[in-house]
Amino acid sequence: MPEVFKSGKTKPESDEIKKILGEKMTGSSFGSCVPRPHRFKFESQQDDETVLLLGRRHIVTNFGWIALICFAFVIPFFWGEFPFLKALDGNTLVSLTMLWYLGLLFFGLQSFLMWFYNVYIITNERLVDVDFVGLLSKTVNVAQLGKVEDVNYTQNGFLANLFDYGDVIVQTASEQKTPDSSGEASAFTFESVAFPDRVAALISQLTEEAEK
Amino acid sequence: MIVGFMVKISMVLILILSLIMIRQESLMDRVVNLPIGKSLKILTWGFFGITLFVTVIVLLA
Repeated sequence: MPEVFKSGKTKPESDEIKKILGEKMTGSSFGSCVPRPHRFKFESQQDDETVLLLGRRHIVTNFGWIALICFAFVIPFFWGEFPFLKALDGNTLVSLTMLWYLGLLFFGLQSFLMWFYNVYIITNERLVDVDFVGLLSKTVNVAQLGKVEDVNYTQNGFLANLFDYGDVIVQTASEQKTPDSSGEASAFTFESVAFPDRVAALISQLTEEAEK
Repeated sequence: MIVGFMVKISMVLILILSLIMIRQESLMDRVVNLPIGKSLKILTWGFFGITLFVTVIVLLA
């Protein structure tokens, strides 16, 4: 008897996808491009959905805030150079120093969490772009692979070319602007992702297969 | 005097922000559930503990 409906079975990966994912990519949880992440789940993931790629901004993009923290860390060593601070009593100066370092710690932790949890997920069925903005807002964009129309990527600047990262822009059939993406070319702009060529190739391949 | 008062107010503000960060981290972990999420939770709670300790010291000093 012919099989009319198959439940709970995922579509097997094609050789092209295996080849793209098999190429050298970072495997650790802190990686910018993690193929088939272990013990990873996301909100609204379906039972038969397999995560093919988990990505986030390239680790190099964190150098800005890390350098700022390093610079700010040494500023209290020169408190004495500021005439206004010289006039403060010892207790207040110690409190101010503690506040400074707590503020730095908060900024560092916050920046790290924003980098770590702002991810894009490519599954065998759809694309998910999770954007957290500040402490109190989040935007989750989801698109079925069949609705993807166009995929392109850009690499701008010296660092982007040196460390091989760039923006992957995905145009979908139902293009809409979301509050977080006011300055972006698409709601699905994966910013500063590692190996943008391979990510774009993977999405194109998955879209092709979804259309068949 | 004024600077001391402002420092104390700022400390309390950071304490409140650290509480918000704990809440936000748990929400983030719910949306994107990574194995390392538990360690990050401990990290944010640790930051809250340090902030609480320092704030209490500064307020009582």
